[in-house]
Amino acid sequence: MNYKKSRAINLKWVTPLLLSIILFSSHSIGQISVKARQVNAKRILNDIEQQSNYRFVYDESSIQFPLVNVELTNASIEHALSILFANTDIAYKIVKKNILLKNINQSASPVVSINNQEDVPQRYTYTGNVQNEEGTALAGASVRLKNTDIVTSTDESGHFMLESETQKGIIQISFVGYETIEVSAKIQMGAIVLPMLASEISEVTVNVNTGYQTISKERATGAFGSLPKESLEQQRLSDLNTLLEGRIAGYHDGRIRGTTSMNGVTSPLFVVDGFPIETSAIQFNGNVEEALPNLNLEDIESITVLRDAAAASIYGARAANGVVVIVTKKGKAQGTEVNASAVVTHTPYYYNTSRITSSADIIGIEREWAMRNPQLDTLSAAGANSWLNQMIYPTRGIQTILQRYAGKISESEMNSLLDEMANSGYRYFDDVERYGKRNPFAQQYNVNIANGSEKNRFYASATYKKNLLEDIYSKDDNLGINLRNTMQISNWLSVELSSFLTYGHANQQTYNLLSPQFTYMSYDGLKNADGSNYISTEESWLSLQTRDIIRTNNLYNMDIDPLKEMANNIQQERRFGNRSYIKLNVKFADWISYTGSFQYEFTRNKGETLYDKNSFYVRNRVNGFAREIDGQLKYLIPYGHIFATNEQNNNSYIFRQQVDINRSFGEDHSLNAIVGTEIRNNHFTRTNQTSHNYDPMVLTYDMLAPGIGSGGGVLGTYAQFDQRTDVYGIFDQVRRYVSLYANAGYAYRDTYLLSGSVRYDRSNLWGTSSKYQNKPIWSLGVGWNVDREDFFDVDWVDQLKIRTSYGIGGNIAQDVSPYLTTYYSSNPNVGGISGTVSSRPNPLLSWEKTTTINVGADFNILNNRIMGSIDYYRKKGEDLLASAQGIPTEGFGYSTYDLNNGGMTNHGIETTLGATVLRKDDFSWNMNVLHAYNKNKVTYVDVEAPVYFLQIDYPNAFPRIGNPYQAIYGYAWAGLDADGMPQVYNEIGEKLTSTPSTLESVVYAGSTVPTHTFSWTNSLTYKNFDFSIMMTYQTGHKIRNSDLPYLGGTSRFANILIVNKDIAHRWTKPGDEEHTDIPRLVFPEEDLYNAQSENIYRNANINVLDARNLNIRNMSLAYRIPGSCLAKFHIPAARIQMNAENVALFAKSKNAKNMLGGYRRPNYVFGLYLTL
Amino acid sequence: MKNRFINYIFLGFVATGMAACSDYLNILPKGQKIPLTYADFEPLLRDEPGVHHTRTTQATILLNDRFVNASSLSYYRLWDANYFWREDVDRKELNNTDEDTYYQSYASIASCNLIIENGEEITECTEQQRAELVATARVIRAFNYFILANYYAAAYDANTANDKKAVPLILSADVGAPHVQVDIAQLYAFMIDELETALADLPAIGLTVLHPGKGAAQALLARIYLQMGNYPLALQHADKALLVNNRLFDWLAYYELNKTRIDEPTDYTLKETPMNHSYVENYYFRHGNDASTYRTAEYNLRLDRIDRFEDGDAKFIARWKLRTVGPDTYYASMMTGYHNLQGLTTVEVYLIKAESLARTGQVDEAMEVLNAVRKTRILADKYEDLRTSDPVQAIKWIQRTKQNELIFSIVPFADSRRLNQEEIYRSTMTKTEEGTIYSLTPDSHLWIMPIPFGAIKNPGNGIIEQNVEK
Repeated sequence: MNYKKSRAINLKWVTPLLLSIILFSSHSIGQISVKARQVNAKRILNDIEQQSNYRFVYDESSIQFPLVNVELTNASIEHALSILFANTDIAYKIVKKNILLKNINQSASPVVSINNQEDVPQRYTYTGNVQNEEGTALAGASVRLKNTDIVTSTDESGHFMLESETQKGIIQISFVGYETIEVSAKIQMGAIVLPMLASEISEVTVNVNTGYQTISKERATGAFGSLPKESLEQQRLSDLNTLLEGRIAGYHDGRIRGTTSMNGVTSPLFVVDGFPIETSAIQFNGNVEEALPNLNLEDIESITVLRDAAAASIYGARAANGVVVIVTKKGKAQGTEVNASAVVTHTPYYYNTSRITSSADIIGIEREWAMRNPQLDTLSAAGANSWLNQMIYPTRGIQTILQRYAGKISESEMNSLLDEMANSGYRYFDDVERYGKRNPFAQQYNVNIANGSEKNRFYASATYKKNLLEDIYSKDDNLGINLRNTMQISNWLSVELSSFLTYGHANQQTYNLLSPQFTYMSYDGLKNADGSNYISTEESWLSLQTRDIIRTNNLYNMDIDPLKEMANNIQQERRFGNRSYIKLNVKFADWISYTGSFQYEFTRNKGETLYDKNSFYVRNRVNGFAREIDGQLKYLIPYGHIFATNEQNNNSYIFRQQVDINRSFGEDHSLNAIVGTEIRNNHFTRTNQTSHNYDPMVLTYDMLAPGIGSGGGVLGTYAQFDQRTDVYGIFDQVRRYVSLYANAGYAYRDTYLLSGSVRYDRSNLWGTSSKYQNKPIWSLGVGWNVDREDFFDVDWVDQLKIRTSYGIGGNIAQDVSPYLTTYYSSNPNVGGISGTVSSRPNPLLSWEKTTTINVGADFNILNNRIMGSIDYYRKKGEDLLASAQGIPTEGFGYSTYDLNNGGMTNHGIETTLGATVLRKDDFSWNMNVLHAYNKNKVTYVDVEAPVYFLQIDYPNAFPRIGNPYQAIYGYAWAGLDADGMPQVYNEIGEKLTSTPSTLESVVYAGSTVPTHTFSWTNSLTYKNFDFSIMMTYQTGHKIRNSDLPYLGGTSRFANILIVNKDIAHRWTKPGDEEHTDIPRLVFPEEDLYNAQSENIYRNANINVLDARNLNIRNMSLAYRIPGSCLAKFHIPAARIQMNAENVALFAKSKNAKNMLGGYRRPNYVFGLYLTL
Repeated sequence: MKNRFINYIFLGFVATGMAACSDYLNILPKGQKIPLTYADFEPLLRDEPGVHHTRTTQATILLNDRFVNASSLSYYRLWDANYFWREDVDRKELNNTDEDTYYQSYASIASCNLIIENGEEITECTEQQRAELVATARVIRAFNYFILANYYAAAYDANTANDKKAVPLILSADVGAPHVQVDIAQLYAFMIDELETALADLPAIGLTVLHPGKGAAQALLARIYLQMGNYPLALQHADKALLVNNRLFDWLAYYELNKTRIDEPTDYTLKETPMNHSYVENYYFRHGNDASTYRTAEYNLRLDRIDRFEDGDAKFIARWKLRTVGPDTYYASMMTGYHNLQGLTTVEVYLIKAESLARTGQVDEAMEVLNAVRKTRILADKYEDLRTSDPVQAIKWIQRTKQNELIFSIVPFADSRRLNQEEIYRSTMTKTEEGTIYSLTPDSHLWIMPIPFGAIKNPGNGIIEQNVEK
């Protein structure tokens, strides 16, 4: 009888069992690693859940978990379970992603025990279906009649049936990963929806990957920030920077925790799949620029940012700026999955004319010029003619006025012409939009395939991107192909191979309609009335004298046809790159393994521009190098096509060997450690080559005339000539590093954690003498998992860890040297080679050191509804390379040199919070809030700007102690004087209308880096709809307004410009100075004019604007197409999504908004994502 | 197999460890080097912007030689102070933007010091090459000190030269090298001593026009002795210099060749300057214009400055042409290229010789020398020999030619200061602009330029005092 009953119950297991057999076919290879001695098996279940996609389902009251000894490394789930439950009373079954547990010995199940009470006359049967919010049945959910032993679990279709003798009761339903809910018992309960736990929505990265090792977050003592996983879905994967901004506290503007170096690199180190990627590029002039790594962003599995010393110091001499660790997808544990996506982005073209002077404004100013210019009163017709001929006023408005003075037109003709111009609004910009721009359009397609079997995991992806840019001849496309394979060759050897290939092509328009090389005003246009192209003829922009030189010397014509020029001289670039690695993992024993890895990276960029001989560029260049030698005109650059090419080749390799130790001692002690060596080689080369009078068909070119150099020829205009770009230039850089490192973490009862790391780096760079290279970079960290303490019994706290770390990180400046070094170039005037001292002996140079102390806590509270972390840090940079002003008498008055004597601190607080705000029925609302406070302060420098204006122009070369490093300096604004002229205070508080030429009069006007950055992301889900919005708010920083309502200029003649429209609110009459700060209009032709006015106005602190801003960066709306619609297409999942990027920016003032780039149109993104 | 594998791994470890110790890190960055050989050091003297470029902007502005437009004057207040001879203005305070003369000269001195200091250790050269290179550097160094002494310190006066400070004397390129602000007599003695030392090792003509040879050293000695009022020695060295090179450029021929262009008043096509690196008059080439790295026109001349040119001066007619741009009228430069404005040329030596002759009672000979120069300058139809037996008149004529020939260099300024010490030659400059009369007296403190603020404030290993109050 008992038997019978129990069989009936067991029937519920049959279907899942059958299913599980089908699904058993391919389970994962090595993914579970657990080491424990005498640990409650329940805790191991947690570990397995964390490391796999499986959930355990069991009834807590019926299962007694024993203490077990387990040591598993990269075991499959079946293997793990068989080991775990080998000598226990627990039986397990795998049903889809659920592992159902049951106690074998307890022959009588709780349900059975109820059934013992056969004599109970009345029995009630409660039935229902348990499902999640998406309507998917939850198999194996535990269903219990509250306060009784009556319990069952749902079957494969989520159905349950429960029998009871009471008519009333509460049904408790629980399922791992979901909230436990209670509902009153009814006979027919229908569908019961279990809401997901908050922790499942806001992703918890359980493991942190440092690039060298993966450790469980619970064991980590450092400050790690992880990219919330859903953010990868919520936004377009267009570039790495936008992916991180606003998603990781402390990451701002490409920097982690502020600026830590004055002269060294300030960008974080990027690590992809364990290898540091240094995507440097050599610029045309030989300067090296750091860039972000190239990868298919769809392949990103996780991004971890290492912020403090404990986290990052393992990267040694490059760790001070933080490290961004990117892990890409490895492939599926079992079976095959194919994902495909197509994303298109439309950005309406927008040029913000609302802030600039219109045609009418400019004509108004030009008329005012005429009215106020005293010289016009006595100007003769001949005089006016000669002004016109000299082209001293290149704008059409003034030229029209002068034509009247020259007697060429009557006053009424002049006025009607001016009126016509005044009525043309923003004609030039309208024409630019109509004829020279388009709405940028971007396409991005990705397909990825993941396949896994017992011995092998394979992942492949291809991303193709194509961008049509704003300029109609500019576009680029890129194909990235990523392959990755992990093979378990034997039980002790596994091999991972990966290769990423990228191929790209870009066209870049070189002629810019917004700086067309002739002066234009809003009233000018690009098409004539008859529809033909507007041509800026020689007559319209060159003086008669210059035209005479062109004519008498038979130089090439200098007309400019802007719309035709656009199509000329398109710069073409091709890129090809490959990054491949092999990793070999050998397991000597369960607790020790060896990994040897080697990565080789190669990229090649080739740029080509064929400057057409008809283009203005070529004509102007050839004319510019025309000289008269011995009474003969000679073109030093021969007329013809100019073919400029450049090629960059970067090779780098890394070879790393590492031993991993992972061992537990007794019940309470566990140790994990790595020790390894690394050698790194980066080799960059670049060549530039230019051929003149190049014939692309016959492939011939001409030599240049000897003695060619920069400067003036017959025209007297300056022409730039640089042998390294105009003939041939070569740049070659090799950086080599050898490093030795070790890291160890010790945990006592998984409660008390201690970790430390140490690293030695040596390089071939001149930047450091070996004496200083031998100093190790090290860190120490401690952590305390408070929630594991027996005494800790706070209901609402689910997890709490307190941690602190201390350590140093290094930083390298690549271009300094302890020795006297010189560089050379050829001397075109006397022949031979000319040499220049590039650095003076500086024997005390060493690597920069940044000491970081970090105190932080990680917590999950309120039933995992709120989780987060908070960190306080203090980064103290010592021995920073600071500039010291060269001593003039020693001959270095113009230059600064670098000394390791700078000091700078950054301290701040970072808070990350994720919360489930609301969860009800089909609706859920999650929120992520980030806040980062960073305060940067220069604590020591031994340099002072030698001249006041250098303090303003180069604040970073001359930081002031006590101020932030990224500072703006300016003059203290003293308002307008009674004539409407700008005034500033000097150091003793006097109002001046001229430049106060002392350093003391230059005052600090704020930092360019926000002290507070907030980010607020809301994710709402209703049925199949997901909506998200991400906003950032930054405050505490300033921006200099360079878009002034002021003409200025230091020229002798009126400098008519397209300026800020606020010029309309300028000072016009005495008394206005009370309510406006916009200076009067004053032309150089007037006596009152002061050439220094512009300088003081431009640099006054009144034009340093509050830059606080609220930025709606991203909004997304996704619709997950229900499975029922997709079934007939055999598509497991599909999602369509719409995004708007850069939705809106709110700033304190219009000018601030303008400077912050807030006037723009959003990008509209449409995406289709399929899982096949 | 497993064991063998482990062996390989350990081998790998060892190999990596070895690499760290071996040559793996010993590759040197390219594009720069640590100079060791002659071939590494010698090019330092071919660095034109670093070693062979001095602007004496304020001297030229004080002399009112150069046309400066109103907006530049309004922008550069130090220019304005010197241009309008404003004695009340504190130029010390304004001299934090115009540090050029000082900074450039000491930069050049530093390169010279580097070569002189390392001379003994330079490898891969003959003894002679080494000695020659060091001697060349000594001449350039002395040349720089001459400019500094005549710009930032009082004019040489034997009576006060031991009491008045000159400029800091620095003899080493080391970081933190000591320097002493010696007195004027010491500095002149140092320059002479250096040149005498150098002469022993110098070739008659240097390696290039940037490498002063014996001719240049003699010319510089002549210039120094003249400045000290030691006419016999000035004459002696001038003669020695002329033994090396006595050629004068034929400006008349140049005029003939370019006549059409020069005579056409509206043709503003810029011609190549003949006064470039291959100018026949060169002993030593030194840039004096705004630019040393690119070719440019010369400065424009003030309208009233042309009155002091002789009628028919072909060099003047070829170099400048009347031009009006808007309300500004001036003589615009018609030459482009690199101009030897600040170096040493035969014409200067001829004129030193002429003055020395006049000073030592050989007035006729002096006039002969002057006329020899004039014959290559003044168009034949305007030319007439200048004749006088009055040394004062002779010297005034010589000075007229010299001020024109060496315009925009330190020489007209140095000569004016020298002659201002003599009652018979001193004069007050006057000008009228927009109705205001301005004047500059020979005793004005404006004749000494203040040492730049940046040098005073950041003196390095030594003490620097201003030689002028404002």
